[in-house]
Formats: sequence, C-alpha cells, structure tokens
Amino acid sequence: MPEALSCEGVAVRYPFAARDAVGPLTLQVAQGERVLLLGPSGCGKSTLLHSLTGLIPHAIPADRRGALHLFGQAVESRSPADWADRVAILFQDADQTLAGLTVSDEIAFALENRAMPPAEITLRVTRAMSQAGLPESWSERRISTLSGGQKQLVALASVLAQGADLVVADEPTACLAPAAARMLADLLLAPGQTVLIVDHRLGPILDRIDRVIVLGREGQLLADGPPAQVFATHGPTLAAQGIWTPLAVRVRLELATQGINVPPVLQVADLVPHLPPDADLGPMLLAAPLPPGPVVVCLHDAACAPPFGPKVLRDISMHLRGGEVLGILGPNGAGKSTLAACLAGLIPPREGRRDGPPGAIAFQNPEAHFTTDSALAELAASGMTPPQAAEVLGDWGLSHVAQQHPFTLSTGQKRRLALALLTATDRWPVLVLDEPTAGLDHAGTLFIARHIRRLAARGKALAVITHDADFALSVCDKIAVLADGTIRTDGPARQVLCDTALLQAVGLAPPEATPLLDWMERKG
Amino acid sequence: MPNTAVWTLRETLIVAVLGAVFGVLYLGWVQVWLILQAIFGAVTMDVVMGFWFIVSIIAAAIIRKPGVALVSEVMAAAVQILLGSPAGLLLLLTGLVQGAGAEAVFAATRYRRWSLPVLMAAGVGAAVASFAYTWVRFDYGSLAPGLLVVMFVLRCASGALLGGLLGHVTVKALYRTGVLSGLAIERDQRAAHA
Amino acid sequence: MIGRLHPLPKLALCLIWIGASVLVFDLRFQLLTLALALALLWAVERVPLWKLLALMIPFALFGFGFLTTSVLFNQESGFALQMAHEQGAASPDFSPGLVLFARTLACGMVSALFALTTDPGQLVRSLMTHLRLPAPVGFALMQAMHLVPDLGREMQTMRMARAMQQRRPMRRIPRPGEVMALTIPLLAFAIRRASRAAIAMEAKGLRPHHPRSQMKTTPIRAGDTAVLGFGLAILATLITLLDQT
Ligand SMILES: Nc1ncnc2c1ncn2[C@@H]1O[C@H](COP(=O)(O)OP(=O)(O)OP(=O)(O)O)[C@@H](O)[C@H]1O
Ligand SMILES: Nc1ncnc2c1ncn2[C@@H]1O[C@H](COP(=O)(O)OP(=O)(O)OP(=O)(O)O)[C@@H](O)[C@H]1O
Ligand SMILES: [Mg+2]
Ligand SMILES: [Mg+2]
Repeated sequence: MPEALSCEGVAVRYPFAARDAVGPLTLQVAQGERVLLLGPSGCGKSTLLHSLTGLIPHAIPADRRGALHLFGQAVESRSPADWADRVAILFQDADQTLAGLTVSDEIAFALENRAMPPAEITLRVTRAMSQAGLPESWSERRISTLSGGQKQLVALASVLAQGADLVVADEPTACLAPAAARMLADLLLAPGQTVLIVDHRLGPILDRIDRVIVLGREGQLLADGPPAQVFATHGPTLAAQGIWTPLAVRVRLELATQGINVPPVLQVADLVPHLPPDADLGPMLLAAPLPPGPVVVCLHDAACAPPFGPKVLRDISMHLRGGEVLGILGPNGAGKSTLAACLAGLIPPREGRRDGPPGAIAFQNPEAHFTTDSALAELAASGMTPPQAAEVLGDWGLSHVAQQHPFTLSTGQKRRLALALLTATDRWPVLVLDEPTAGLDHAGTLFIARHIRRLAARGKALAVITHDADFALSVCDKIAVLADGTIRTDGPARQVLCDTALLQAVGLAPPEATPLLDWMERKG
Repeated sequence: MPNTAVWTLRETLIVAVLGAVFGVLYLGWVQVWLILQAIFGAVTMDVVMGFWFIVSIIAAAIIRKPGVALVSEVMAAAVQILLGSPAGLLLLLTGLVQGAGAEAVFAATRYRRWSLPVLMAAGVGAAVASFAYTWVRFDYGSLAPGLLVVMFVLRCASGALLGGLLGHVTVKALYRTGVLSGLAIERDQRAAHA
Repeated sequence: MIGRLHPLPKLALCLIWIGASVLVFDLRFQLLTLALALALLWAVERVPLWKLLALMIPFALFGFGFLTTSVLFNQESGFALQMAHEQGAASPDFSPGLVLFARTLACGMVSALFALTTDPGQLVRSLMTHLRLPAPVGFALMQAMHLVPDLGREMQTMRMARAMQQRRPMRRIPRPGEVMALTIPLLAFAIRRASRAAIAMEAKGLRPHHPRSQMKTTPIRAGDTAVLGFGLAILATLITLLDQT
C-alpha cells in the first residue's frame, strides 16, 4: 500500500524572500495514520500544507523544490482541483476554506464539483450538518453573518461531507469553545482516518493522534514519533522553541527549575500523586493579585447587536475597573465579540447605556487592523518612532518580518502584530482583547499573558475574551460567562472556573489544570 | 509565463467582484450627477461621464488580458440593474458600448502597454464610443454644432481624467495594499524593476 | 407565491415586458404596467405600502433626471417625440418627458418585482443548468452578489479600526471624507476576498469544462410555462387594445 503522503526534500520559498519559508523536509504519512504537525508560529506549517495538493505554486505564487507524492502519485500530475476528490483541506483561516456562499451551498459545493447525484449530495449535506451540530435552520443562512467559531464549524461540516481519503487541517480548533473543539476532534480524528493536522492547542486532540512531527523555527524537522515519546525526550527542546507541549510536560519543566523531579507523564492527573508538598505552582497557573482601581467603564441594562444584525445580548450590566482583568467566556455565537465592541464603546448599545471613555478592541480577525504596507509601517502609523517600533517588533518576535506586508504574515504573526499595535501605547484606558491567544504558540501566549498583567498593573481596565480556561485562569481576576444571550454567571476567576457543572452545561470546560488546583486547595 | 488569453479562476472572480463594487459606486455616482445637474444644467453629464468608465480601466490594468475591460463594465451595469438602477435594461447596452470603447484601445496596443497615457487613451476611447451611442439615443444631430463640440471635448477630457487618470491612481493605491500579488500587473512591475 | 415560480421564465417575462415598455410609447401603457407591478407586489407578495413608496423614490429621482435631460435634448425633433410619432399610438397631448418618467417608474417596478421575488443564488444556478453558463462564471457571479451586502459590514469594521486609531468615538453616520478614505481599503478587501474564494473553490475541486451536478435543481414545470404564456397573452391584449383606441 503506498503512503498517503510522502515528501522528499520539500522546501518552499516565497517570491523575493531571502530564505525558504519551510524545509527542506522529508516525511511520510501512512494511510490510516493521524499525524499532528507541531511547530512555533511562522515556521512554515501552513506553507507546507498549501503545497501538498499543489495550491503552491498553482494558485499561490511561490517556489517549491523537492518531490511530493500523494497516494504514490506525483502531486504535479494532477491539478489542485483534481486532487479535491481525495484530499480535503481545512485552511487555518475559516474565511479561506469557505467560498462565501450560504451554508448548504457551501457544504454541497465540493460534492457538486465531483458530479455526485443530487440525492446523494442532499443526504451527505444533511448528515454533515447534523454531525457538526449545525441547526437545520441555518442552511439558507449567509456565511458572513456567522460568528468566527460558527464559520469554523461550517468549514468542518464541509470537510466531513467530502469524505476524503486524506484530510489536511490547519488549526481547526483555534476559535472553538471546548465542547465544540472536542466534538470536532472526535469527528475529524476518528480511528482509521488519515489526517494531517496542525494545532497549537493540544488539549482536545492529544489523545487522538498516533504520531507527532515537530518543526523547528527554521522550518526543519526537529522530532518525529509517538506523542508520549516525543514529549518525554524532546520536552525541553520544544519548550525552548516556544512550542506548546502538554500541561504535564510544562509542569515537569517548571518543577525542574525548582529542583524537583517528577516522572514524564502526559496527563496532569497522573502527575498529582508525584507532587511534593513544597512544589509551588501558583505563579505558573494563577494571576498574581493586584489592588483593584476605580470603575472605568460601566454598562447598564445594555442590549447589544452586531453591525446590521439583530440584538443578540440583553440585560447586560457590568463594569470594568482599572487594574482589573475581566475574562469573558462563552460558547460559540454567544455574543462575545458583539459585547466586546459595545464594551470598548465602538458600537453603542441598542438599549441601555454605556458610561466611560472610548476604548480599543483587538478584533477577533487581526487583519481588520492592518492599513499600511508593512509591519513596521503599521506601528509607525499608530504613532511610534522608528526605534520604538523596532523594539516592539523585537519584543513580539517579529523583527525578521518587519518589512513584510501585514497580509502575507502567518496567522500567529498577524495576531502578534495586531496585539502589538494595540497594547504598545498608553492611548486607551480601556482595552478589550478578542481571543488574543487564537493561533499563538506557547511563547506568544506566555508573552501576551505577562503583557496583560503588566498593563493591568499600570491601571488599565482590560477585558479578555478567550476559549482557553487555563489562559483565563492565568490572566483574569474576574470571569463572566455569556450564554443564551445574557450573562449566565460572573465572579472571581478561580471560583467560576471551578464550577465544572455550570461550565459544562454551556459547552465550556474547566481548566486542564483543575487537578493541580484541587491539589493546591488540599495543600492549603 | 502563464497563458495570456485564458482567465484563471482568480481573475474571473476578481473581474466579477470589481464589477459588483463599481456597480454600487456607479449607482452612487448617479446621485452625484443628478444633484450636479440640477445646479449646473445639462452638460454636467459629459463632465461626470468619465467615472462610469473607470472599472474597465482598473480591471484591465490589473489583469491585462483580452475581454477584461468589456466584461467588467458589463458586469457593473448588470449589478446596477439588479440593485434596481432606474435606467433599466438599456444600461446593459450602455455598459457594452463603453466597455468596448476602452477594450478597443487596449486591443490596439495588443494588450502590451499599460502606461498612464494608454489608460487615459482608453478613457477617451470609452468616451468616444459612448458619445456615438448617446448621439443615436438622444438625437444629438439636432443640437447646435458648437454645443456638440463642447460636449464632445468635455466628455473626452472627463474620460481621460475621471476614467484614465483616476483609474491609474486607484490601481497604484491598490498595488500598494499588496492584494495584487501574483497578478499580471505585479509580474510586469517586478520584471520592469529587475 | 411569485417567489415559487422558476426564475428563468419569470426573467423572460419581465425582460419582454420591459422591452415592450421601452418600445410602446404610450403613457397609459406605462401607467398600467406600473399599476400591475405595484398590485402584484402589494396584493400577492404582501409588501407593505410604505415600502413600495420607498422603493419608488430612487426611480422617481432618476425619472426626474431623465425628464429634464430628455426635455432639454429633444426640444424640436427629439428622440422621444420621434418615437412617439413612429409608434403612432401616443396621444400628442402628453409631454414625452412625462412618458419617459412613467416609463422609468414602470420598468423600475418590474425590475423590483423580479428582484424581490427571486433568490439570486437560485437564478445563477438555473442559468448554469438551463443556459449552460460555465460554473466558474456562475460562482464568480454568486460571489459578487454575496459581496455587496458584506461590504457594508466590512466598512463598519474598518470604521471602528479607524476610530480607534484616531482616538475618537465612532460616528454614527460617516463623513464624506471618511467614506472616500475607505474606498481603496474596501476595494482591496473585495479583491482579497475574491482571491481567497478562488483558492477555496479550487481546493474544493471547481474546474472549468468539467461535468458538475447540482444539489438543488428547480425544473421548469408546466405551471411556469403557463404563467409565462398567460403573462405574454395579457401583454399582447393590452398592446392591441391600446392600439385600437
Ligand atoms: N505570501 C507570502 N509572502 C512572503 N512571505 C510569506 C508569505 N506567506 C507566509 N510567509 C512567511 O513564511 C513564513 C511561514 O509562514 P506560515 O504561514 O507557513 O507559518 P505557520 O507555521 O503556519 O505559522 P502560524 O502558526 O503562525 O500559522 C512566515 O515567516 C511568513 O511570514
Ligand atoms: N449580521 C448578522 N445577522 C444575524 N445574526 C448575526 C449577524 N452577525 C452575527 N450574528 C449572530 O450573532 C451571534 C453573536 O455573534 P458573535 O460574533 O458576537 O459571537 P461570539 O460569541 O464572538 O462567537 P465566537 O466564539 O464564535 O467568536 C451569533 O450567533 C451570530 O450568528
Ligand atoms: Mg499557519
Ligand atoms: Mg467572537
């Protein structure tokens, strides 16, 4: 049986770039194997996936060297569109996977292109929609009226409907709430499927993959093998490259700096029995408390709506204090992004009142911030001097792409640039960050977490929308949970995040670190 | 060098989308024209006419293939009709005539030259074609020759400036946004700099 | 009701009717056409009256423009008068400008009747099935149609980003200068979106000259042809009746 995918010395270089974006790489994926491709942000994962069916160089201008085979056949022997009958691709940006039609047109599109009988298409579309949990009433809905996570679910449904021999997925869970992410992992990574998946967040997929391939910062192969083995032997290297590793591995590395040795396991629950009483996990897992300041922004009985959309939130009363970070959690489509625009004062509430100075928001889609023709120029346009801008780019690990056009950056690089633009100046007393960690590697996430606490310490009022409960735990003082169009509950971060029953009822999940928190509680 | 005559999927989509966007802008321009006309009288139409040629010039200068100027202009007309342009179906004919005028100029250069003078000439080409068309439609023969000359000159100037020059400026601005990478305009510019 | 008719016969009928309205230079015909379209929209489609009036405003505005231009350009032997003579049907008492004005409204409302009762996606799909419109062109059209409303949303986001950058509250209604400044970014957005859609469509197997099926094909049923025939009969009767009086 030929390999599903085989790369030999594959390297890709974008036009006029000084060096290769990825490679040279040699790797194989056997049929029936579920492979996770890991690597720091900007190492060329998406670039590699784009070359697999020949979209690079056919539709995206770039140079590819080396030999690529799909199911034993040279990739160039067919056009990317021809490969669609065997390979389904889930792009990193859901907007890129979708052709921008209505939901049912979108899911049917690939099947129609294969000239499948209409009855069969209808059957598959209905099945895929119910599998992905999309309500039937959505079938005529325009995709652009969906929230970020809902779009990702539509993209998933359309890939499921294709029933392809090889599925290539680029960070499919980045914008999904935990329950949805888990469902996606179940569907996409069912045993027997051949899947090549890229993801930063390991939580929902780790126990469903057979093999991990790790790329280093320069796009070269760093490690390859079963997850347990890779994380046990290469843990420190991966961490040094800023790659996400399972929480248990990170805790083990943290403890090692405290001079404590624990066995290499993958699940935190297995770690607890080995923890000595003097282990100090607080700084790693929890936000250091800050004295709360005065109330900066206040919403009174507000009803909020997305631009040109219906009211999706009602009876919202909340306030933000200076020096306090509020976490906003909720299932996909709960109205978090809508609330964000209202909190920042950009869209006035349809009903009720907002009091406070105008603030800023880091949009869920970072591209919405870009107006100039290079990363450096973006910072200059927000009022920074060239030396300041260079320093900020350095802090965010973007120095080597300073002259690159913002829209050609990798997704994680775009996210970092947008966050840098917003958080580097003291212009706004109120900042709302919409999913700041989506698409970031571990180094980026750590950096933004510290940065958020620094900003809070400077007295800013911050709200952070996130699907990552562990991240929320490490930066937020308070948490509000949105569901069913209103605030379901709010309170101190640790208290809300320990209410497992409530979180699960609205499609969220408690932090991965819960066993460690319990252990800390018991320890007192 | 990719095939120079056949449009790729991306190019087809870009022509359609540009047609749609400019259909909306053209409809807005109709309102501008009506307001100006109420103030300045009938020759206003010739002064503002050039803007209605711009999509063919922009699309052609970006994609640089036969048919782009014509189809984009017709597409813009079609979108205006769908959005309920009062001119109704006749607009399709108007679009066809104007697009053909610009297309003729590009065809005369064999789709090889895209400098500012060529774009302005394309604007004039569209103006001439549309002048001939309105001549027939509104029976210009009955007008005083002096007025006709003024109208003709105004319309050509408008085509050259609002169509050609403004189109050129727009294309340059679009080029700076990086969205044109991989299209003919970028290949030519890079080749010129190399 | 009208929404359930097949788009192609409906389109054919509307086009023929608009063509007739352009050719028949008779105020009564224009007014009857207008009344018929309004009646269908109001009685069958249940479009509220205020909405119908609002729909007519831009047509009326344009009609006035038409009226002035045509009057200015056709003082003696104008196109309109000439046509009136050629048709030999118009009562010379009516000013040709008035007829043109009524014609604008009539054609406008027929177009509105079609637009309000037709799903553009279904129209494009029927064009692909019945008139062999190539699929890449069809989907390019669909993409373009979906884009128009999205431009508004995108503009809103861009305005938010700008308000933030300039540290001012978001204005409810953008100033003209602000709109001008957004033209290039919006165009760039449109092109970027087209480029992405092209990649998505290619990755999902859209090829020119390749057989393709459709999930939802609406066949042209006997009822549709009957409606087309019925409509044409009414049109013919109207024209003959008006011709005789
Ligand atoms: N069109 C392009 N032109 C020039 N450089 C590009 C282009 N697209 C990507 N790059 C660069 O190539 C490198 C690899 O990008 P790629 O998107 O493959 O990274 P990635 O591993 O997917 O990162 P992330 O995890 O952030 O998504 C990045 O440094 C990026 O800036
Ligand atoms: N134009 C619109 N018309 C109708 N509904 C809309 C429109 N825009 C957004 N919505 C709906 O509003 C709800 C809230 O959207 P919002 O983007 O705020 O969700 P979210 O909580 O940020 O979700 P996610 O986690 O997926 O980003 C969603 O259910 C979405 O489908
Ligand atoms: Mg990527
Ligand atoms: Mg959101």
